[in-house]
Amino acid sequence: MEGMELIAFQIISAAGTARSMFVEALNLAKEGKTDEARQIISEGEECFTQGHKAHAELLSKSADGETIVMDLLMVHAEDQMMSAETYRMFAEELISLYEKLNSK
Amino acid sequence: MRKIVLLCNMGLSTSALMKKMRAAAEKEGYECTVNAYPISEAMQEGQDADCLLIGPQVSYQVEKVKAAMPGKPVEAINMKDYGMMNGAAVLAQAKRLIGD
Repeated sequence: MEGMELIAFQIISAAGTARSMFVEALNLAKEGKTDEARQIISEGEECFTQGHKAHAELLSKSADGETIVMDLLMVHAEDQMMSAETYRMFAEELISLYEKLNSK
Repeated sequence: MRKIVLLCNMGLSTSALMKKMRAAAEKEGYECTVNAYPISEAMQEGQDADCLLIGPQVSYQVEKVKAAMPGKPVEAINMKDYGMMNGAAVLAQAKRLIGD
């Protein structure tokens, strides 16, 4: 599999899995399981880091002067990363909120 | 003829995996159809599938799909195999789910 395409898929896979885990974490918090929720967020972050590493390869190629062709697949990969990170940020805030609500 | 259905966000990244799985199936002589669809079409396209494999981006919907299609094998695609676009490995996952 061609280099760029493989990197894109690795990012999509890792960021996508992370995002799914963040969604699951929030669902757990809704059910009152905030400790478990935070655990899943942690695991999701580990997955996300793997995507980050693959992304770093691209950044390094770019820094070396290589032209990175942004095709639809790579745009999707970048989207997945940003979407995962944003979701995590909101999920963390909402988990804290659910915690406060549940403790009343 | 086994019907394998792949589901992801928009069917974009999963369609690449679909091609690899088809190639692997042909190589192995395993008779099946492999098609990728957006998860929003799960109900329509999954009705007569022998197994449904869900991409990582939407794996949080696995339980929802399972509930909507009781008795059908539904599983999230292995993250590593998806990342490496390993058609043969995901085909093996499908076969295991189907029971072949």
